[in-house]
Amino acid sequence: MVHKISPELSITYSSLAEIEVVAKQIIDFSGEDKVWIFDGEMGAGKTTIIKAICNQLGVEDVVNSPTYAIVNEYNNGEGESLYHFDFYRLDDQEEAMEIGATEYFYSGDYCFIEWPSKVRDLLPDKLLKIDISITEDNSRLIEVTRYE
Amino acid sequence: MNPTILAIESSCDETSAAIIKNGKVLNNIIATQSVHEKYGGVVPELASRAHQQNVVPVIAEALNTAGVKKTELDAIAFTRGPGLLGALLVGTSFAKSMAMSLDIPLIEVNHMQAHILAHFIDDPKPSFPFLCLTVSGGHTQLVVVKDYLDMEVIGETQDDAVGEAFDKSAKLLELPYPGGPLIDKYAAEGNADAYDFPDTEMPGLNYSFSGIKTAFMYFLRDQKKKNPDFVQENMNDICASLQKALIRMLMQKLKRASNETGIREIAIAGGVSANTGLRQELDRLAGEKGWNVYVPDFQYCTDNAGMIAIAAHFKYLQGKFSKLDVSPMARMKI
Repeated sequence: MVHKISPELSITYSSLAEIEVVAKQIIDFSGEDKVWIFDGEMGAGKTTIIKAICNQLGVEDVVNSPTYAIVNEYNNGEGESLYHFDFYRLDDQEEAMEIGATEYFYSGDYCFIEWPSKVRDLLPDKLLKIDISITEDNSRLIEVTRYE
Repeated sequence: MNPTILAIESSCDETSAAIIKNGKVLNNIIATQSVHEKYGGVVPELASRAHQQNVVPVIAEALNTAGVKKTELDAIAFTRGPGLLGALLVGTSFAKSMAMSLDIPLIEVNHMQAHILAHFIDDPKPSFPFLCLTVSGGHTQLVVVKDYLDMEVIGETQDDAVGEAFDKSAKLLELPYPGGPLIDKYAAEGNADAYDFPDTEMPGLNYSFSGIKTAFMYFLRDQKKKNPDFVQENMNDICASLQKALIRMLMQKLKRASNETGIREIAIAGGVSANTGLRQELDRLAGEKGWNVYVPDFQYCTDNAGMIAIAAHFKYLQGKFSKLDVSPMARMKI
């Protein structure tokens, strides 16, 4: 995560009904980036937006929270795998190394990562960063930035 | 057929081994500090390396305390999935090697089936068909169990597991992780009608626990604005009200499933089965609805090899063995 690439994408939405459109906007913005990190406090909706993104990418599996399993693997129906991580339960980066996290990150497959701060040093430089924050009226502000 | 089987569980955090003989689970060893004190070392969590360090001591302990020699084993069983791939690999590889070297059959077990079959370790046992609600940190599933190895998932969570909703709500209350059991403890002293949390509507028999987490976060944020000490001053009532809402959501779908299927044999499985509020509500419903309710012994609710052993026993009786080239599956359906 060295250089920020302009422009950034910024979206506000107030209803879950809009989330599929938001997901599509993020996918269109993402270009070739396959490693996406999601920052936002607990309850901000990280898993919810990832669910919508996977749906837009053709995943038919149930996209549920990987907090307990650490990583979920989905299939897009064309034989391609997508990986959904949640590093919330990890105590140190070494544990992520041991489950082969870096092999997933550099596999070329989509990797959607919740709680990326727990694996800060293992992330590739080139990635898409999605910040989700809750506004005063409980809408969501999504800011997307590309790094390389 | 009276097989003696060694079962290994390594799907997530726990490394465990158990011996079953003639359908009776003789022991259920879970890697703990005491096992390690005997063999040296500490108990790290989660990592595959931890399972690698644990697997030999727990198996040795299981064989020793059961008084069973390796050569007396008729089969080796292991958890194939679902779980964390690196963790599953440890148990799978060990089981395969051991089965090959002893030249005995290998039996793969589905972790979610095993949670349900834990009901057949001790009496009282449910009769078929029965409904099982499996509730844990990683899973929330409603299953119709037609026979030992014939099960159908009729509802499951579409996002967070109920155990996760407990643990994350506890985190929002600044309780240590995993805080689910602490919520249960505080709830016992609180007024469950103090606060109202909305149910998340899901079609059919599926569950969703992500919405209540967000609603709970808003609730705490708004209350803390009015009174910064809100949580400390009302911990018991907050926990009781939240627990009531989570259990209500669990019970709504369970009641509907019972109505739709006409099944009144009701079982619960998984770590959240330990929740006292859930047990009380099930007892109440048993009286109201004429249900027979079954809850396994706590040691067989959390992840353990005893349940893998009993599942393997039934597979052995039906001759359901695995080939040596079997590989673990992170996501595996019942």
